[in-house]
Amino acid sequence: MDQAVLARVPEVFARRVGPALGLADEADVVARACHAMATRFHGGGRLIVFGNGEAATDAQHISVEFVHPVIVGKRALPSFSLTSDVATITGVAATAGLDEVFAHQLHRLAAPQDIALGISSDGRCVNVLRGLEAAHRLGLLTLALTGGDDGGPIGRSPAVDHVLIARSADPRVVKEVHVTTYHVLWELVHVFFEQPGVLDPRVVS
Amino acid sequence: MTEDMEALYPFLYSQSTDLDAVMSSVRQSTVEKVDEIVTLRRTVLEHDGDRIAACAAAMAESFAAGARLFAFGNGGSSTDAQDVATLFMNPGHLNVGMNSGMNGGMNGDTARPLPAFALTADIAVVTALANDIGFEVVFARQLAASAFAGDIALGLSTSGNSRNLVAAFEEAGRRGMLTVGLAGYDGGQMAELGTIDHLFVVPSASVHRIQEAQTTVYHALWELTQHALAKAGDNDDSA
Repeated sequence: MDQAVLARVPEVFARRVGPALGLADEADVVARACHAMATRFHGGGRLIVFGNGEAATDAQHISVEFVHPVIVGKRALPSFSLTSDVATITGVAATAGLDEVFAHQLHRLAAPQDIALGISSDGRCVNVLRGLEAAHRLGLLTLALTGGDDGGPIGRSPAVDHVLIARSADPRVVKEVHVTTYHVLWELVHVFFEQPGVLDPRVVS
Repeated sequence: MTEDMEALYPFLYSQSTDLDAVMSSVRQSTVEKVDEIVTLRRTVLEHDGDRIAACAAAMAESFAAGARLFAFGNGGSSTDAQDVATLFMNPGHLNVGMNSGMNGGMNGDTARPLPAFALTADIAVVTALANDIGFEVVFARQLAASAFAGDIALGLSTSGNSRNLVAAFEEAGRRGMLTVGLAGYDGGQMAELGTIDHLFVVPSASVHRIQEAQTTVYHALWELTQHALAKAGDNDDSA
């Protein structure tokens, strides 16, 4: 076997460790986001997820996670991704442009009590930002999974209520932190559901 | 004073202690999950690091010979299969590892786009096969229709027991494809098959941690495949 390829393996794995550990530093942001999400679900809200490229697959992963939990006995929660309808995405992209696809869908599909979750590994996806801004104007709870130094324009946007930043310049490493993050989000939303007294929207931490 | 406030606004006080306790346990849970995945990835590196490099070298050889990659899985693993396909098809920049800075990952060489399909992307084909024959054939029949000897079949499952994956690997073996499997727990039926060329079993009982470690495995396979292809290209240039 090629020794040069073999020699790279430890560094490939080592590059993941720091950003993965960084999620533990965000535990309070995660907890607050989960409480806000659980409160929305409790009030009849649905989770709407969107992103581009690899993040489009994360959007679909998140929605199946909530709709069909892998842990037996956990309740199904309403969620859908905006990346599955290829006809609408390509249709809107061909007329209004790709920057408008998620905002267009949110304007037709979202209700004020819903939750919008946008994913962008560098925080620079214009259509994700516009989707979150449209959601914010409609009254949705808004969350973003981003990466890089400061989460980019999406991470700095006042339209986003909860921002979780995976601190790596490698988009593959950012994605891996995002996968752990949304698995934890799903699990901890259910922890709040097991304590229904804490889901009154007037209860704040 | 506090009692007066509590009488006026009971919701401000009745649950606050409970909420603080739940928030505290939730924060601790996040820290524990992070520890689990960091430890699990270290285990995968120790058990399978050499085999990941060997698999990437074999995939690079296949691509250099004209192979296409077919990725498949169910549920969350179907999204991983689509992630694998788009990663190979439209990878953007190749991170250069230790030299990478925090400038958006734009300092790497441009990665080489490689031909890949996700067998869950064509909903017309998937629903036609499932409706007319059964869900266990949705991947195997697509391989039978489209794959050639020397192509790459990459299937992901957390249990290793998905019947349509087992059928797909049997078909891939018959067709002379390079087969790559990602499983969890003890590898299940994918391990029992004994015919998958490169099988990586993530030793965890948590579906979530298995998926997180599998994502690292296929990212590593992709990155090492790119390096192996680039190196082969350099050798060709100097020959």
